[in-house]
Amino acid sequence: MEIALAGNPNVGKSVVFSKLTGVGVISSNYPGTTVEFFEGKAKFMGSTITVIDIPGTYSLAGNTDDERVATNLLFERRPDTIIAVLDSTRLERNLVLLFELIESGYHVIAALNMYDAMRKTGRDVDVTRLERILMIPVIPTVATKGEGIDSLLFTSVQLRGRSKFKVRYDSHIEEMVRELSGMLKEEDWSMPLRAVSLRLLTGDPRVVERAAPEAVKASESMREQFVHQHGEDIVVHIERDRFGEAGRIASDVVGESAGRKKEEGLISDLTLRPVTGIPILVAVLAAVFLVLVFVGGWIEGALVGAYTDALRGPFEDFKDGLSSGLAKGVAEGIYLSVEAMLALVIPYILVFYLMLAVLEDTGYLVRVVSLLDGVMHRLGLHGRAIIPMVVGFGCNVPAILATRAMGSKRERLILATLITMAVPCSAQTAIIIGTVGNYAGVTWALSIYLILGATLVFLGFVMHRTIKFEPTGLFVEIPDLRTPSASETLRKTSIRIKEFLTIAFPLLLVGSIVLEMLMAEGALQRLIEPSEGFMIVVLGLPGVTVVALVFGILRKEMALQMLMVLFGTSNLALHLTPEQMFTFALVMAVFMPCLAAWAVMLKEFGLKSTLLVTAGSISLAMVMGAASHLFLSL
Amino acid sequence: MVTEIAEQYLKIIYNLTEEGGVAKTSDIAKAMDVAPASATEMMQKLAKQGHVKHEKYHGANLTPKGLKIARQVTRKHRLLERFLNDLCGIRGRARHAQACKMEHVLTDEAERQLCRMLNRPSECPHGKLIPKCDRGIACEKCTNETVLLLDLGEGDVGTVSHLTSNDRDELCRILAMGFVPGSEVKVEKKVPMGGPIIVSLKGTKIALAREIGGVLHMVRA
Repeated sequence: MEIALAGNPNVGKSVVFSKLTGVGVISSNYPGTTVEFFEGKAKFMGSTITVIDIPGTYSLAGNTDDERVATNLLFERRPDTIIAVLDSTRLERNLVLLFELIESGYHVIAALNMYDAMRKTGRDVDVTRLERILMIPVIPTVATKGEGIDSLLFTSVQLRGRSKFKVRYDSHIEEMVRELSGMLKEEDWSMPLRAVSLRLLTGDPRVVERAAPEAVKASESMREQFVHQHGEDIVVHIERDRFGEAGRIASDVVGESAGRKKEEGLISDLTLRPVTGIPILVAVLAAVFLVLVFVGGWIEGALVGAYTDALRGPFEDFKDGLSSGLAKGVAEGIYLSVEAMLALVIPYILVFYLMLAVLEDTGYLVRVVSLLDGVMHRLGLHGRAIIPMVVGFGCNVPAILATRAMGSKRERLILATLITMAVPCSAQTAIIIGTVGNYAGVTWALSIYLILGATLVFLGFVMHRTIKFEPTGLFVEIPDLRTPSASETLRKTSIRIKEFLTIAFPLLLVGSIVLEMLMAEGALQRLIEPSEGFMIVVLGLPGVTVVALVFGILRKEMALQMLMVLFGTSNLALHLTPEQMFTFALVMAVFMPCLAAWAVMLKEFGLKSTLLVTAGSISLAMVMGAASHLFLSL
Repeated sequence: MVTEIAEQYLKIIYNLTEEGGVAKTSDIAKAMDVAPASATEMMQKLAKQGHVKHEKYHGANLTPKGLKIARQVTRKHRLLERFLNDLCGIRGRARHAQACKMEHVLTDEAERQLCRMLNRPSECPHGKLIPKCDRGIACEKCTNETVLLLDLGEGDVGTVSHLTSNDRDELCRILAMGFVPGSEVKVEKKVPMGGPIIVSLKGTKIALAREIGGVLHMVRA
């Protein structure tokens, strides 16, 4: 048996879902989209029930990615029962989706979620009356506290049935529906003819392509006739009637209020006003950055320390036992990859994802997006691009994954490119500080950041102009600020971490082994020797630095250590002039992201785009390096 | 709030004093079909509420407060008579009797729409003047007195009148959020630097790009 959860965004649907299913949830991207949906199992009286969490949507007629996925899932899976999760405090608008579900002939039951918030405003819903009007079971729930979840499950298994409730439309529309229904055959459709006719009238492409040509033609001429008579599209009138009905029902079942909905708190208002909102944003971003650097760094230190203490000894013994140099190389590769994982993945990504989930669940993220939307549009991006950018200062891997919040694939690609090229990750920052900052002074280090900032703006502008598309206009609901639920935060974080481990880690491991093998045989040096001349002539750097550059592909922060190993001293000033350090740090900052970031890009954008970005970043790094060499040697 | 019966009295006084002078209690009683004593009693009550000035043996006159209500009720009554006459084809006493009942339940919004629908009539079927509405908008402007949501200022409230978009998907998206004709929208904030417009719609805050603000045509509240 299959149950689907449907509802508007921000109604607490995913909390209902996790309460129903517990752990062991599978998240999948719907084929051909980046829209995620979740699937889990619930136990009921010895039998197992599949629960699908359908992406939040406002209607079944829309054509955004989310809405298409929602409609397709409902259409393909034909779940046995649909639980419509409604926000009790916004009953009116939530009822409209419920109408559509009932109209489409599904077995629907309604969960009146956030019932506690409703009570708090001094109002109450007459549940029995609502059940009588809609002719479906209605269950008040408080998902965050688990209230009503059991009876929701029980009802959806035992008491499902088809409702006879109908929205009554404008008499002209009803007449058209009657006429169209007569032209259709019941057995051709899996939903009631009334719903098919209405969708024909609204020109829903999914229905239009499957209907008999004469019915399609009739519906088209009816539409035209309607516009002619009423001066407005039929869609407008259908929706108006639905909202009218919803409004009547809502005012009928919601008890007299002690006052209108409580005005939103002060904080909510301050986050939306530029004068106060921007300082708040800067503070939040700074906090995220600091937590990432300090807490992440602290965990990294602790984990790497523990790892080395526990495994270095046994590992050395094991390595000594191996006979061939190749085997030693492989062993070293595995050992280092696991260490890289501990240093990279666990601390920074975990901490970041936890914070991201909290920011998302509180509803703060949406406010930031609204605040910055106008400015970001000039770079061809949405306001929400700011978040992945900040994340990129920690690590590019979660930053690239975080671009998923963007609307279109192109926006995501622009953003990911900007991040890999112009946002220095913590390892790149370590190089900048470790070379330029230490030996050439703070001014030089700062100027690298300024150059990167200018590059970001310039690249964004150029890409916006060349990759032709308009960012989709922002249109989002701003939910009330609320305290995030711990279980939701953990669930989101664990799903994201799992994704990273299955995608990036295997590649990191393989790449690391290959590189170690080459190193062990001395093949790496021989392979890159020819390019030493390039380094000397174009970048004005000592030939050996190319090794550090290549090594940086595996792990950026290792590049600095590598440099010290190559020169045989930790005092880099003996071998590099401040100008050379500047060039080196700049090249490293723009240079191709590390292997893990590369793997994530490959997974998210495909081979072609990834290769393009890689080639682009390498050439840009070289051009900028050469320019800096030229400029500084003048 | 004034009771239906009080509205009825105020309307009668308005009718009687329309061309100047005062309304005699006997005339009021006759028009209301009640005993003069009852009319006197009601006059005293209305005078106490500040709706009329009443002098014994002389008659009653509307105060500015009473005039406002009386004009609005009379306006609704005469518009309704026009409606029953022009659109439903009802003549004679039945028309007047029905309008007398309907005038008390007709909302101001419906009255405004009715006025537009009837092409802003100036006289009732009896040839009496229909009092102008007190919205301070010239009648010629009234029909197309819509502004784009984009052009509303912060803090302004308006009602969605219609939507203009050739993009079906965009239209569906906007409608599904609840921006249907007749819904009330308040502009909370316009984020500077080309940022979105933040509006509240039935207690929900929504951020929408300026382009979308150009699709929604509003009538100022």
